[in-house]
Amino acid sequence: MVHISDGVLSLPVLAAGWAITIALMAAAICWSKRRRTSAEEIPKLSVVTAAFFVASLIHIPVGPTSVHLILSGLVGVILGILAYPAIFIGLVLQFFLFQHGGITTIGINTVVMGVPALISYGIFKAGNKLGFSRKGVSEGIFGAIAGGLAVALAVLFLVICLLTTGKGFSGVASLVAVAHIPIILIEAAVVGSVVAFLVKVKPELIPLGGARK
Amino acid sequence: MIEYPEIDRYASLDSPMHRFDPRAKIIAFLFLIFSIVIIPELKIVIIGLFFAIFLLILSRIPLSFVLGHLKWVALFVLSLYVMLAFTFPGKEIAKFYFLSITAEGLYTGSLITLRAFSAVILIFPMIGTMRFDTMIKALDKLKVPNILVQMLMFTYRYIFVFMDEFQRIGTAMRSRGFKLRTTLYALRTIGKAMGMLFVRSYERAERVYRAMHSRGYTGNPKTLVEFEIRRRDYILAVSIIGFAVSLHIISFFLP
Repeated sequence: MVHISDGVLSLPVLAAGWAITIALMAAAICWSKRRRTSAEEIPKLSVVTAAFFVASLIHIPVGPTSVHLILSGLVGVILGILAYPAIFIGLVLQFFLFQHGGITTIGINTVVMGVPALISYGIFKAGNKLGFSRKGVSEGIFGAIAGGLAVALAVLFLVICLLTTGKGFSGVASLVAVAHIPIILIEAAVVGSVVAFLVKVKPELIPLGGARK
Repeated sequence: MIEYPEIDRYASLDSPMHRFDPRAKIIAFLFLIFSIVIIPELKIVIIGLFFAIFLLILSRIPLSFVLGHLKWVALFVLSLYVMLAFTFPGKEIAKFYFLSITAEGLYTGSLITLRAFSAVILIFPMIGTMRFDTMIKALDKLKVPNILVQMLMFTYRYIFVFMDEFQRIGTAMRSRGFKLRTTLYALRTIGKAMGMLFVRSYERAERVYRAMHSRGYTGNPKTLVEFEIRRRDYILAVSIIGFAVSLHIISFFLP
């Protein structure tokens, strides 16, 4: 996934990104405080965040180049609302440790990846309401949809960000969009199989998977 | 295979940047970075870049270490530079068959490139000059929400655990003849390996958390470092912030 570097976007886009991120994080943190489970949930949150980080180091060959995993959809499925702060922390560390992306763009990059992760969570939740029929299989399918959709929407948001920065960015935006098509398919396959695996092996990691009676 | 992300490898050196109070350092540098990335004028950005390099030299972090870390930014920014040069509408200055380079594209590209490099270079005197746990304590003192501070701390710790664990799983898979290709089979196998990584690490995280809890962990970072802000720190912080503000004043009055 391409994170936007410092110095690319205009001030209004940067400011809007930080405003949305701060608001959503405050909401997520308040929500978790009200449930009073935050202290025990921190290890779980951190494990998922660290996995999100390490996933970006795994390169999968595609033709002559390679792409890396993103797993933002998986973060959404496992953590729900708290996926948003998790992705924020993941991006902070990706910048601090590897200089991926930028520091002033952490706000907008979190919107670009985090909001699709929340939508993926919604999709998975809707799938859960419909009732998963065969254990593992349908969770896997919904996981794949969630995983692919998270990346597809992230690319869409990224393109919108680039287009609002200036008229001259339309060429860059279309190149970025085309380059991500294989990543969407790979993410769908990987996230689908991770979800199917976790539902069978460690169901408490996917709270929504086990709701089927 | 995968290299450890040791951003604080040179935290034990001694320099004015290392002696700078962590809290004042974080605030002053963030202010400077945010100011530089929104400068609209190329000439002023160049001044900002030189100031960033000056602070880097002051911090005595080896240049080879910094250059190694600049490669990701370079990859992103330079590809953006090339794309902008060819696709940005404006006055054509060179033409290859159906592609043409525009002056506006080059200007915007240079502006973006230099702003991005200044920001990344400033990261090294900022967080490369203190240990990661010192930074976490400083963030806590700066009233960053506790849940974020704790997540930052645990995630940082687990990144190293995960890298080791995934390396082990990868070695086991390769020794059984697994090759990472773009087939559905390979992707599903990688998915299962990731799943196993989650399960193992989750169980370990729970064990570690319980052990910490039973030893009196309350969620506040405890380190032996004591912070003491002195007049020197105020002067340094105010002069960095003052420099950032003056960059904008100059760029405002520039014709």
